[in-house]
Amino acid sequence: MAPPTTFRTFRAGWSRVPLIGWLFGALLAVTLERLVGGPLAAAVGLPKIPALFGLDIMLKKPLLIPNAFLYVLLVYGLPMGFATRASIAPANRLAAGLLRLPITVTTFVYIVFLYVIFHVWAEVNDYRALVLKLTLIAIMFTLSLNVINGYMGEFSCSHPGFMALGAYCASVFSLGLFVDTRFFGTALLPPALGPFVFPVALLLGGLLAAAGALIVAVPSFRTRGDYLAIISLAFLFIVKSLIENLEYVRGPRGLSGQPDWANLPTVFLWTVACIWSINNFVTSTIGKALNAVRDNEMAANAMTVDTRRTKMVAFLFAAFWAGIAGGLFAHVLRYVNPGTFGIQSLAEVLAMVYFGGLNSVYGSIVGAVSISLLGEALRPLEIFKWIIIPLLLILVMIYRPTGLIAFKDVDVTALFRPRTGPDEEV
Amino acid sequence: MRKGLLPGIFVLAVVMSFAPSGPLQAAQTIKIGINAPLTGDIPKVGEGTKFAAQMWLEDVKKAGGITVGKRKIPVELVLEDNESKAESAVKVATKMITEDDVLVMIGPQASKQAVPAGGIANNYKTPMISPWSTNPDTTKDRPYVFRACFLDPFQGPVLANFITSEFKFTKAAVLYDVASDYPKGLAEFFKQAWEKLHGKGSVVAYESFTTKDTDFSSQLTKIINSGAQVLFTPQYYNEVALIVQQAHQLGWKKPIVGSDSWGSAELVNLCGKDCYGDFFSTHYAAAGAKGATKAFIDRYKAKYGYVPDDVAALTWDSMNLAQTAIRNTGGLTGDLKKDRENVRNALARIKKFKGITGEMTFSGTGDPSKCAVIVKISDKGEFTFFKSVCP
Repeated sequence: MAPPTTFRTFRAGWSRVPLIGWLFGALLAVTLERLVGGPLAAAVGLPKIPALFGLDIMLKKPLLIPNAFLYVLLVYGLPMGFATRASIAPANRLAAGLLRLPITVTTFVYIVFLYVIFHVWAEVNDYRALVLKLTLIAIMFTLSLNVINGYMGEFSCSHPGFMALGAYCASVFSLGLFVDTRFFGTALLPPALGPFVFPVALLLGGLLAAAGALIVAVPSFRTRGDYLAIISLAFLFIVKSLIENLEYVRGPRGLSGQPDWANLPTVFLWTVACIWSINNFVTSTIGKALNAVRDNEMAANAMTVDTRRTKMVAFLFAAFWAGIAGGLFAHVLRYVNPGTFGIQSLAEVLAMVYFGGLNSVYGSIVGAVSISLLGEALRPLEIFKWIIIPLLLILVMIYRPTGLIAFKDVDVTALFRPRTGPDEEV
Repeated sequence: MRKGLLPGIFVLAVVMSFAPSGPLQAAQTIKIGINAPLTGDIPKVGEGTKFAAQMWLEDVKKAGGITVGKRKIPVELVLEDNESKAESAVKVATKMITEDDVLVMIGPQASKQAVPAGGIANNYKTPMISPWSTNPDTTKDRPYVFRACFLDPFQGPVLANFITSEFKFTKAAVLYDVASDYPKGLAEFFKQAWEKLHGKGSVVAYESFTTKDTDFSSQLTKIINSGAQVLFTPQYYNEVALIVQQAHQLGWKKPIVGSDSWGSAELVNLCGKDCYGDFFSTHYAAAGAKGATKAFIDRYKAKYGYVPDDVAALTWDSMNLAQTAIRNTGGLTGDLKKDRENVRNALARIKKFKGITGEMTFSGTGDPSKCAVIVKISDKGEFTFFKSVCP
């Protein structure tokens, strides 16, 4: 029993580190990497700063694994470990102080803090920034699907279709108004105005996706269970072939040349807004009503829950965020074609939802991040990647049938509170 | 313990920040990125790309590297899988350019990946050559993006002219996949060219289907009843086999003409005798090839067991284009930015490059002017050279 005990005492040292302490540690680590990452990487025998914690070079050059490990330990592990532990007392005082402020202000401070960490981390190279942006979009997409498949307990397959609607709507808006193209004519508004109007483009995309959701919802909510899956799958195909046949948006050739507005702060802000609003939604009365509908629709009805309205609102809300994610996606890639939003995209997002955990905000984040990172890390394996990821999914389904972190919403006060108790549960 | 280690780490960090920051890589190796669809919808294309690139690397290794100026510089390939997805192609392109420091990127192949990846390459001012992408958007207004194949706006008229002069037909039918950008674009260009030659309404049937359809009988019946004299179908080889066989079952006896997407060794295996005697336009004819083309085909066949598709041949040409451009720069400075720009300028200046898929000349744009080959499928199922059409 010796090793577990040592491990527990080792870990116990950090059990009193509040979130702000961890953020400090992370900031220190990324700043350190920014300042001395290059020489440090060269010193441990790496050609460059490993982009994704060494995950990306692991399989290409297995001989460098120890070097990458050493690097990660030196840059992230040790500084974070020491800084967090050394700053337990001041960090806890700071956390307590912050918590006395209005909760919006506190949250704002934490979010700015988090953004600064991301920013410094992503500035090291553009590949990181791109992966980070796409991962954040994947989080939005996964979380919005989790509202339907997790909180509402239905099985919806139309999510990539909603994303496609959002992506195309936002692209047509921005290309039509701000870019000279052959298909939409000359720019109607000065490009300088673009970034300020971008939210409008995204919102329009979200609203169009919600309108699409209404079309699915009206006929399908008269039925239950498998039928929604079938109807929503049909909707996915309808959207895809609709876009393929619309000459106005160039059919299967896709739209390209979207302006470069989806930079890291924009994507980050929208992701925060998405997590915030969905978390509020699922913890509100209507969210609880949604869970009641999932567990037993008839009982919920008897308890005066307007089940039809509840389901409708949740479905449209989820589609709205999928549409926003789609608009961002199109502007990050600066290209969109209908083929992207097919069955494969559906399979990926479903994997993220079920891998991370149903009915869970944390779970969606974990699912989206881990599947995205796994996809990047395992890329050199080529075809075996498509064996390993599904295998992992099967293992998760066997040992944790509801996903890694199921049934867990974000409670900000609990998250931000100082950890003062001696052996408190983290 | 903590007190001892913390300053230790600090000292280490400070020492490292003054440590020699690695030798300034004076073009130690040339890295060439291959952005290929090794998994996903078209793995065979990815395989052809990979094999051709590896064969090229073998040659270069044997020669001890690429001779630039007076030095021989070894070459390294950075091969990445883009999963045949636009999103991954962009990730891979960004990674190669910013992480792996490639000098030139070859690929992606299909237009749905080449268009967005081309945007990335152009933003980072890194030369990219797409061997196979025929969508005009790939290279349009992008000085750093090139391609090794001819475009659809060229291929459509070539076929329309060929059918007109060879058979003297005036009524044509078109059958294409509306959900896939390549067939759709080519069908449109063919229709335009044909109607220019024979007047409006000369395309008597313009029928479409959706990817992965396998039954074409209703479209084919319409085509047969329309009185068309020739059927043009710019589809991929697996669909061509089905279309041709079903057309013959329904009683179609007139010629069927296709585009470069027919050009796979698999076509004859799948289609059998039904395809014999039909024509298609492509980049090169495998049977009866001479010189370097024959050497490439024989070597590829001996090594990997099948006749290379046009993708492999075009990738081979792209690799050699890159090599020629690198050689023409006359010397690498070691400053990646400057080298990339030099290579781009050298690429844009390439004239009369002797590729195995024909002679290529770049004049101002990223699109080469090169000849198309009309291939006839012989009675033995071989792709034989029939005619060469130049712009």
